[in-house]
Amino acid sequence: MPPIIELKAIYKIYPNGVMANKGVNFSVEPGEIHALVGENGAGKSTLMKIIYGMEQPTQGQVVVEGLERHFHSSRDAIDAGIGMVHQNFMLVPSFTVAENIVLGQEPTQRGLLNKQKAIDETIQISEQYGLRVEPKAIVDSINVGMRQRVEILKALYRGANILILDEPTAVLTPQETQELFLAIRKLVEQGKTVIFITHKLREVMEVSDRVTVLRQGEVVGTLPTSEATRESLARMMVGRDVLLRVEKPPAQRGRKVMEVQRLTYINDTGRSVLNDVSFNIYAGEILGIAGVEGNGQTELVEIMTGLRPSTSGNALVNGKAVLNKTPREVRMAGVSHIPEDRLTNGLALEASINENLIVDRYFRPPYKKGASIDYKQVAELGAKSIEKYGILTPDGELPVASLSGGNMQKVIVAREFTSDPELLIAAQPTRGIDVGATEFVREQLVKQRTDGTAVLLVSADLGEVMSLSDRIITMFEGEITGVFPDAASVTEEELGLYMLGIKHQSKEEMEELL
Amino acid sequence: MSFDVVLRSIFSAAFLASVLRISTPLILPALGGLITDLSGAVNIALEGIMLTSAFTGVVVSAYSGSVFLGVLAGVASGVLISFVLGWFHLHLETNIILAGIAINILATGGTIFLLYVLTGDKGNSQSLASGRVPNINIPLIQDIPFLGRVISGQHIFVWLAFILTWLVSIYLYRTPWGTHLRAVGENPQAAETMGINVKRTRMIALLISGFLASFGGMTMSMAYLTIFQREMTAGRGFIALAAVYLGGRKPWGTLLAAILFGFADALSHQLGSLRIPSQLVQTIPYIVTILALVIYNLREQAVKRERRRKFQEQHMQSMASVE
Amino acid sequence: MIRKLYMKPAVREFLRILLAITISLTLGFIITLLVSEDPVGAYKAFLTGPVSRINRTGEWIKEAITLTLLGLSVALVFKAELFSMGAEGQMLLGALVSGTISLFVPLPAILRIPLALFAAMLVGFLFGALPGYLKAHLNANEIVSTLMLNAIALRVYDYFLIFHIKPEGAGYNASDFFPKEGVLPTFIPNVPFLAEAYELFSRRANITIMLYIAIAVVVLVWYLMYRTPFGYELRMLGANMKFARYGGINTKKTVILTFAISGAVAGLAGAHLGMGIHEKLIANITIGIAFEGIVVALLARNNPVAVPFAALAYGYLRAGADIMERSSDVSREMVLVIQAIIILLVTAERVLPIVQQRVNNMRENTKAEAIEEGGQNVI
Repeated sequence: MPPIIELKAIYKIYPNGVMANKGVNFSVEPGEIHALVGENGAGKSTLMKIIYGMEQPTQGQVVVEGLERHFHSSRDAIDAGIGMVHQNFMLVPSFTVAENIVLGQEPTQRGLLNKQKAIDETIQISEQYGLRVEPKAIVDSINVGMRQRVEILKALYRGANILILDEPTAVLTPQETQELFLAIRKLVEQGKTVIFITHKLREVMEVSDRVTVLRQGEVVGTLPTSEATRESLARMMVGRDVLLRVEKPPAQRGRKVMEVQRLTYINDTGRSVLNDVSFNIYAGEILGIAGVEGNGQTELVEIMTGLRPSTSGNALVNGKAVLNKTPREVRMAGVSHIPEDRLTNGLALEASINENLIVDRYFRPPYKKGASIDYKQVAELGAKSIEKYGILTPDGELPVASLSGGNMQKVIVAREFTSDPELLIAAQPTRGIDVGATEFVREQLVKQRTDGTAVLLVSADLGEVMSLSDRIITMFEGEITGVFPDAASVTEEELGLYMLGIKHQSKEEMEELL
Repeated sequence: MSFDVVLRSIFSAAFLASVLRISTPLILPALGGLITDLSGAVNIALEGIMLTSAFTGVVVSAYSGSVFLGVLAGVASGVLISFVLGWFHLHLETNIILAGIAINILATGGTIFLLYVLTGDKGNSQSLASGRVPNINIPLIQDIPFLGRVISGQHIFVWLAFILTWLVSIYLYRTPWGTHLRAVGENPQAAETMGINVKRTRMIALLISGFLASFGGMTMSMAYLTIFQREMTAGRGFIALAAVYLGGRKPWGTLLAAILFGFADALSHQLGSLRIPSQLVQTIPYIVTILALVIYNLREQAVKRERRRKFQEQHMQSMASVE
Repeated sequence: MIRKLYMKPAVREFLRILLAITISLTLGFIITLLVSEDPVGAYKAFLTGPVSRINRTGEWIKEAITLTLLGLSVALVFKAELFSMGAEGQMLLGALVSGTISLFVPLPAILRIPLALFAAMLVGFLFGALPGYLKAHLNANEIVSTLMLNAIALRVYDYFLIFHIKPEGAGYNASDFFPKEGVLPTFIPNVPFLAEAYELFSRRANITIMLYIAIAVVVLVWYLMYRTPFGYELRMLGANMKFARYGGINTKKTVILTFAISGAVAGLAGAHLGMGIHEKLIANITIGIAFEGIVVALLARNNPVAVPFAALAYGYLRAGADIMERSSDVSREMVLVIQAIIILLVTAERVLPIVQQRVNNMRENTKAEAIEEGGQNVI
């Protein structure tokens, strides 16, 4: 049988120069469940957006059911029988389930809505595909699992033959995940084709027929799931270029700076994001957290820095409780934070470089003098930071928006390093910045640690975690799955098995090492 | 006058009839405000739309000698002004509040300016023989005791206010277009992915709101009074906006809220005879609106907290059952 | 997002505003051509009126003082990326409270006037804090709440004016003229050395010491905005609320204080209406000026130092229109039409494509550099 979707030599280069896909060939057979796996940034999402018409390829062909297609919007893709369930649901909260399903194609009777028909049709397709929903329930009041089923039904209602599910289990509880898999199998039985994006290998093994692995924008391989093992897939996913080695003197581990005890976080939709997480960080060491993104690291950092309340647990910095305190209280306790999303949290783009440097200290001496801010001091700080951290700009009075990504990150690094922290939390500190800046940021992290600061490094870049950390913990689905007290002696294959949830150390094994 | 007398007069048919008359120029623009609000845009320009159509209706009816043509022109002018607002907001990306303020200033200045050009008077249109819309007497209804005297003999716009409330509620909740409009207001991205044109939907909402508000304006100048006076809408466009929120963003709720404002206004005149200052009575609906805003948001927060608690409890239970 | 925020050159802003004013004035002239017997004379009166006689200049300056205060009040809120339409209510209460003190508190001028001004600011502060609190803690729509508070303030003002302040048996709703101790003195001190100028101004163009106060407030607001920790918090809140929170700024407190301080300045503007312009309390004392602060702040691009200049320019148009009406057959409301067009042109993001084009080109260049420097990135 000819493939139902075929991508030929797809290249995608974004206007900002990022090359997300490099000559991807990808084909999906009709009636199969095809898993697409890869780390964050491997190019999965871009590829799916191309199929769904949300992005246009820079080069290459999209062939659907034997015809070459040029989709200009998702509307075109929908018309060609492609449906996509996004990670963030696209539902109208105050509408009922049935109203959401028929939105845009409402059944009518003499110009008026035929609500009964909408409900009947909802019940009908819901039963046909085994996707249980309550047609009359208001979306705002239903749980995430049902919301997702509504999304799938929306696509089916529009006649989708090919369904793209973008990390559908990321928001689900284990039971809901099982229900989803049952539903997917039923869809395929009735002739639908499913593309399933994930980075959870257990799920790949459980549900898919074939699997394609993407790495750094390229296809590593496509193989029948029956011929794959979790270990082989993990190796395909995380194998990478030469590991960079950072020069660093041996760690001089000092006193305990931060203690995280039995931290648990359940989000607003009832999903357990962090489950009983405990660890310590010591002065003079870099503790790396390795894990695929979306396994609780983001929330962990936000909770540790006062940006998000926790459900239960405790966290102490030098014996002082910092959990559920304001961001300022946490900072005053000696915690610095390089946020993972620098444009959203880390910077005010319109404000000047100098002003971005003082957000954590404008209210205290020497920057505050009497009732006002001493802008001479601020300018001095700016000049010093620009010089010391090599921020490429003629003047600290220019807006941060005038800098390149790498230099923006240097502004954040300058601020967070010069505050003389006890603990430095660095989340994705080199994401999306150029090689020079990356190297610089890494050197600075090591320097901080050698000077006696406790550093927590959270990164999706395994090579970075391995080359910088003294000690590594792996996280999977909100839990710590392993501790490696000597980062230098562990291989990336080994780490991959733990961060993808294939291996798991026991509590007793870990206790001493955390 | 004693309290007793005032109380009796409040429950008289004549008083209630006057409440309806006073409420009508609030109900109609409030419906317009409701539709734009549900589509995700705040229409601050209701005031300016009302003023424009009040003026246009009077002038055209005076020069053409036809009330019908006057009303037609009044509606057209209101819709046109809304179109200008929509064009600036949706296509030139002007902040809708600022554009709305500009439209209001334009309407205030423009109507007085043209009034002076046409009549040489800046205060009102006394020298123009403009028309008045007819009253409606319905034989059967006017015989109903009490109620007959409240609703019969009201001018056509009073009736229209109720009919349009009904039509608006059908439009919003019973037709695909109204559903699309509400979807656009709540989650434009979701609507867009389902092939609904967000900009066009908002533009239509603005045009409808211009249509509705223009009747509110003409109620002032072609029914309640039969002349145009400068700045005669006197903030009713803003009160109408408050009625939308007080009415819980629902058509009949908005109507009731508008009537409450009208009632407070009428009541304040009655209470004047009891030496209770009308000004203080008139503040009541505004205080109630603020309280409604507060209560609404407190309730939202409580609902969210409750939902989170519920989900977390469910989670704890399922964890416990696993263990 | 970066692209949209890329450097906003002051030149571009200035050009836009200049062009908007030019276009509006041209349209105004075309309208005058259509309706006037003597369009040139009328327009000349409009454009030169305010400087043709000393008393007219005085009217202009007094108007500009009110507009400066209102513009500052709005600029504070806008700078924090918030919205407030509450200036009217704050002015009304400011006028009411300061007027009451001016009329009835038996203190010498040296105490009575400062007390009245202070009270006006205090009441404005409190009346401004209210919508701020509702916004920060209950997420209540600040446009609706400020409009409601305006309506309430208007009725409270009327109530006190009619039932408590208006003299028994007076024909219309106004207070007595304020006693000398309650009126702001002329801006030129009555000393022998300046006797001639004092005579001239106190009789013909009574500009009061509010001139100095307004200038002081400009400096203070500038200082507050650009030199104090609070001003920093306010500006960071406006630039990126999430960044402010991440950096440890108490965003709720900042929202409330911003509204409150804005209210205090508007309250002072209200005091000026009573104690500086009308010298009594009248009904509808804020009519025609309630939302003008928004226009001034827009023209000044929320820069406190630019506010008095925007107020002078804008006040000039308003004063010119008054004179045009008195000396020609064109009514003063033409200026409202001009004003509306200015607002629309200044705020429309996509108007003036030529200027925009240049900026876009510049952006492209910076972007190209960024890419060159950045090399190949990961996503």
